[in-house]
Amino acid sequence: MYRLNLHDYVKLFSSYTELRAQENRVVRIAFVKGNNTANSRSATSGISARVYKNGSWGFASNPEISEAAAKAVIQAATENAVFLDSKEQKGRGPLPKSPVTSENDFSTKKPRLGQRELVDFARELDDHIARKYPDLASRTVSLDCLDMEKTLVTSDGSYSHSLVPRTTIGIALSFIKDGQPVEFARPYGGLGHFEDLFTAPGELYGKIEEQYHHLMKKSEGVFADAGLKTCVLDAELAGILAHEAIGHTTEADMVISGSVAQGKIGQQVASPLVTLVDFAHSYNGQTCPVPVYVDDEGTKAVDAVIIENGILKGYMHNKESARYFNVGPTGNARAYEFSDEPLIRMRNTAILPGADKLEDMIASIDDGYYLIQPSNGQADSTSEFMFGITLGYEIKNGKLGKAIKDTTISGVAFDMLKTVTMVSPDMKWTNSGMCGKKQAIPVGMGGPAIKCKINIGGR
Amino acid sequence: MANLRQVAQYGLNALLKAGAGKAQCVVTFTDKHEMNVELGEFSLLRTTFDTNIRLTAIKDNRRGSTSINKSDNESIDKAASDVLAIAAASAPDEAFDIAETQPPAEFTSGSDSPDLDTMYSSMKKLIHQVEDKYPKLVLMQAIIDFTRSRSCFVNSNNVDFVTNKGVYNCTFIFSSKDEDKVSSFNYTGFSLRDLEKDLLECGSLDILLKQSTEQIVTRPLEGKFVGDVIITPDCMNDMLYFISRALSDGPMISGTSIYKDKLGEQIASPMFTLHSRPVSDEICNGYFVTSDGYAVQNSTIIESGVLKTYLLSLYGSRKTGLDRAVNMGGAFVIDPGDTRFDDMIKSVKKGILLARFSGGYPSDNGDFSGVAKNSYLIEDGQIKYPISESMVSGNFVEMLKNIKGISRERIDYGFSILPWVQVSGITVSGK
Repeated sequence: MYRLNLHDYVKLFSSYTELRAQENRVVRIAFVKGNNTANSRSATSGISARVYKNGSWGFASNPEISEAAAKAVIQAATENAVFLDSKEQKGRGPLPKSPVTSENDFSTKKPRLGQRELVDFARELDDHIARKYPDLASRTVSLDCLDMEKTLVTSDGSYSHSLVPRTTIGIALSFIKDGQPVEFARPYGGLGHFEDLFTAPGELYGKIEEQYHHLMKKSEGVFADAGLKTCVLDAELAGILAHEAIGHTTEADMVISGSVAQGKIGQQVASPLVTLVDFAHSYNGQTCPVPVYVDDEGTKAVDAVIIENGILKGYMHNKESARYFNVGPTGNARAYEFSDEPLIRMRNTAILPGADKLEDMIASIDDGYYLIQPSNGQADSTSEFMFGITLGYEIKNGKLGKAIKDTTISGVAFDMLKTVTMVSPDMKWTNSGMCGKKQAIPVGMGGPAIKCKINIGGR
Repeated sequence: MANLRQVAQYGLNALLKAGAGKAQCVVTFTDKHEMNVELGEFSLLRTTFDTNIRLTAIKDNRRGSTSINKSDNESIDKAASDVLAIAAASAPDEAFDIAETQPPAEFTSGSDSPDLDTMYSSMKKLIHQVEDKYPKLVLMQAIIDFTRSRSCFVNSNNVDFVTNKGVYNCTFIFSSKDEDKVSSFNYTGFSLRDLEKDLLECGSLDILLKQSTEQIVTRPLEGKFVGDVIITPDCMNDMLYFISRALSDGPMISGTSIYKDKLGEQIASPMFTLHSRPVSDEICNGYFVTSDGYAVQNSTIIESGVLKTYLLSLYGSRKTGLDRAVNMGGAFVIDPGDTRFDDMIKSVKKGILLARFSGGYPSDNGDFSGVAKNSYLIEDGQIKYPISESMVSGNFVEMLKNIKGISRERIDYGFSILPWVQVSGITVSGK
């Protein structure tokens, strides 16, 4: 990435200003039933400025990273802020200041692999699946790599440079049962460059074998019995539950808009077994999947404790919402592309582990479901959330039964979380998906297995 | 800014010089002027300029591509060299190809530059109208933008297309609040050639804002029933994704599409006719050139329930032996039916008006389940009350066959034109 010294342009700032240079680098490789349908690399970079004036914001971006472009975006963003301020005249005061300097680079120290090695890796996985599981109707092996590199200076005196890579191998297996396609897909990977996460295709064969067996059971699967059921949500589901059910509802802009979390600080909103935190960068000494040390407003990122032992404790903030609520900013302002403005976004949202064993949870249920793999999800201002389920099993008399077909679960978070009666001690993080809120952005999600009551779709 | 065609031609020549057997280069310059409203007040004015140069090379039946957003010669030369290395890494496939020669053409739609004052005054007027008409409504986010793009597509078969497009886009997210009670949020959007009409009169905005204020107090459904569902145009917009995906390259090449071998067969009710019209006058936010370099034509995908075309690219066509589609889908227009919306409601014994589907991605076989958001219970021919904590499930393939009615009324979103669609056999479950 072309590294312009952004400090040189601070003298051009006439109001509160953020100046950010950014490059997103993407590699995409895919094999669909042995066909190399995707084989590309892309890089998108540029510079942007955001300017605040009396409660109004101006933003401008340019794909060139140069002295002229830096000056142009500062000027255009300033003019935009002045224009809007002249029309709106909100007369709001300054934003909170918290200057910080940070340098965080999660690049691999190993030699980088070229496109050929990456394509060969994916092809070897595809060949293995074709050879080992000839009864499959189709398979897709995809490799997606995303590097986000950002440099930021602000008029408050903050400076940060970060490079955060993410690598995901997606494997989707399809089987035809009675003329109907049945698919089961799983992502593998997380924070880091390919070289730090994957060494040899053979390391994934055990996971693919497990995936194949789940698919075979799913092909014999039954519809879930629709209605309110006692369920065990496996760790990956607890993560998306933390994100969709509570996370979005407690983003401060959603709260100001009137989400159901408004005015509930200090109230019991969940079982005392539930503690939920949006971690900035680390949990228990380990780096989280989407580490944020300084956000895109130049605020030092701190953990945002949302629920502690069932009590709603706080929200996730940018500078503007922190001023509104008269609290400190938490460092949740994040932008996806150089041409995007920072929005309040989650980072690594997780339900914290408890002490109950997964097998005891399953054994305690006479008629319910063990739900393992989520797909997409959606939140709501009412806290009524949903997410798709692509792998789950019946629980009958304390034992796992038949697999179920794809379904959707839903609930009202602040009701549903009060039904949590058991929480397991293990903790699993994922970050393969993108969260959508005007812009897409990678987020981390984590959690243990939990036992709760939840609505399940079916027949 | 650099000359569009010169940059595209430079990119094409750079690929050929680097050793490509077949090559294509697509250059797009985009500028966007965007006004953001949060909680009913203007919050941000955003101006962005971007460049996208997509280079594709085929050599010895191996294909690679890259995209960059820098238009200087040095960046393009490096990218061209990278593409050849990427292509060399690919698995060979005789189906990789580029579009054949077509007459050069220039396509133009919409304005060349934004009317910023009218953008501001239109949105300001909407804010005042909403405050007066729907005082409990919270306009969480409203965005109006003018996006102008200029694009040039050239390839080594002498394809040469230039597109100039300017369009206004509006999106709205809103909920309603009364003391400590809040409705589910809802959203909609539309595209416009100009800003002559009040925004409140465009798309389904006024209908949905009114419904939002009714949805502050909802009732969960009790129990479970199988009944009729009337799908609103906004909801239909989302559901058409299933058809579009099932007819496209991925599922067709892998052989897992539920519509494989169904060309010419009845896959939906005879009432249902679906067009893709990206280059019609009635669609202001369409497109002119496919991503593989063909001038676009309108098509009828399903005619009176019969599947007339897949949505295959050149590559998908060569892999499956089926015809290449004349467009990439989208810009969907569903023919109106002969039932008035009010009569449709009157015909329902027990069912729901499904205004937003919040659910997991449908399975490849069409099974779906999800939450009926912003929706209403219909009983004995009347809309009774807004519901919450209620789920719907069914099968999309069966649903298309079980269409009982299509409304005369349609909503024009600028990017699609859709009616209300009544289907039977959907499972609705409450608490």
